[in-house]
Amino acid sequence: MKNTVKLLSLLIAALAFATINMAMTQKEGEPWVIPAKYKSMKSTIKAGDPSINTTGKELYNQHCRSCHGTKGLGDGPKAKNLKTDCGDFSSKAFQDQADGEIYYQSFVGRGDMPNFEKKITDEADRWAVVYYIRTMKK
Amino acid sequence: MLNGKTCNPMKKIYRYSILLLSAVLLAQPLVFAQDEAVEEKPKERPERPAFESGLLFDNATTTIPAANTLEMVIQHRFGSIENGITDLYGIWAPSNIRLGLNYSILDNLVVGVGTTKFNKMTDIQAKYNIVQQTRSNSIPVTVSVYEVIGIDGSPDSKFGVNYKFSNRMSYFTQVIVARRFNSKLSLMAAPSFTHYNSTDTLVDHDRIAITVAGRYKFSPQSSLIISGDFPFRIQGISEFTKETNETINHPKANICIGLEVATSTHAFHIYAGTSQGILPQENILYNQNEFFKGNIILGLNVTRLWSF
Repeated sequence: MKNTVKLLSLLIAALAFATINMAMTQKEGEPWVIPAKYKSMKSTIKAGDPSINTTGKELYNQHCRSCHGTKGLGDGPKAKNLKTDCGDFSSKAFQDQADGEIYYQSFVGRGDMPNFEKKITDEADRWAVVYYIRTMKK
Repeated sequence: MLNGKTCNPMKKIYRYSILLLSAVLLAQPLVFAQDEAVEEKPKERPERPAFESGLLFDNATTTIPAANTLEMVIQHRFGSIENGITDLYGIWAPSNIRLGLNYSILDNLVVGVGTTKFNKMTDIQAKYNIVQQTRSNSIPVTVSVYEVIGIDGSPDSKFGVNYKFSNRMSYFTQVIVARRFNSKLSLMAAPSFTHYNSTDTLVDHDRIAITVAGRYKFSPQSSLIISGDFPFRIQGISEFTKETNETINHPKANICIGLEVATSTHAFHIYAGTSQGILPQENILYNQNEFFKGNIILGLNVTRLWSF
């Protein structure tokens, strides 16, 4: 019985260590290198388009929410398992970026952030997601 | 054991139908090409897929992942819940499982292979979207053709004394018509034709059926899903007399109701269904369970996508 308790204690300690270690090792994302073509990219839909709160919201919830969280705070259920911090879409630093920069980060991606060009194939739908992310501004 | 009853004239008709269907499909791009040459129209935007996954219970939907996407499918059917706690509502009973892989060759063409535990079935599948619903509603529905060829891997003795490899073959051909009404509600109707080269005694080789299905999305990732496969009893295509047909146990409707949770790369179904078969031709020709008489089975599906 004593041995079992010891073994369980060790197991719990190892799990706690691994969890803390994983959380500790999550790093801030490196600055994005965004091609000029994307920086100057213009949206195919207008700000205020009705699709932003329908299609944009629906696609965000399906593809982005699990990591980035409902309000874009980077607190989705999968976020803590990533090597890189998800960032905060509501922050001024994020919202100050050009639309094309957000487009590149959202759909081309890098590292932990997967490419979504094949999952969201319609160009206007992608822009609806970008503008939906814009609504998360504080 | 089957009596190895075969049906060569039907095989011919079936073969001609497939050829005709292929010819119609191949001719389509030519027709569109001619239209385009006449006048340049603004590009229509296709509507978003009516369903989250290409699979809804045992049925195909019109949804096809983008070209060069690999989909893994795991389908699991427990036993009947009728024995109650004795076998934990069918969870400890013998279960049927299918593992499948589908690959999208084009944005509107997917092919797949799979293997199923019951009858050691191997299947080859193809689905092609003929038309795609558009956002302008100029095309109000998506229409797909879907074909499943099953190969029964049971011992030769199952097929009677005049065994031939073709006795193992079964075919399921379906036209799926689906409409996404809005972000929450999608419905589909899908007439189908099932043919088995070799069947059990007093089982017709052919059966026409219709599948109706729908989903209602009630939260960002969860939907209520429902479907019914209804085999028709048509005397005109039956091999048996009307009197004999009165005494036969004809296949029963396969009704399923459940919950779908879909994320970017996964779709997960948990549901109560009727048939323990997984391939559609098995459900259409051989299901004897009746949902409203309590012959209910619990089932699970998981799909996973990888893009290349």
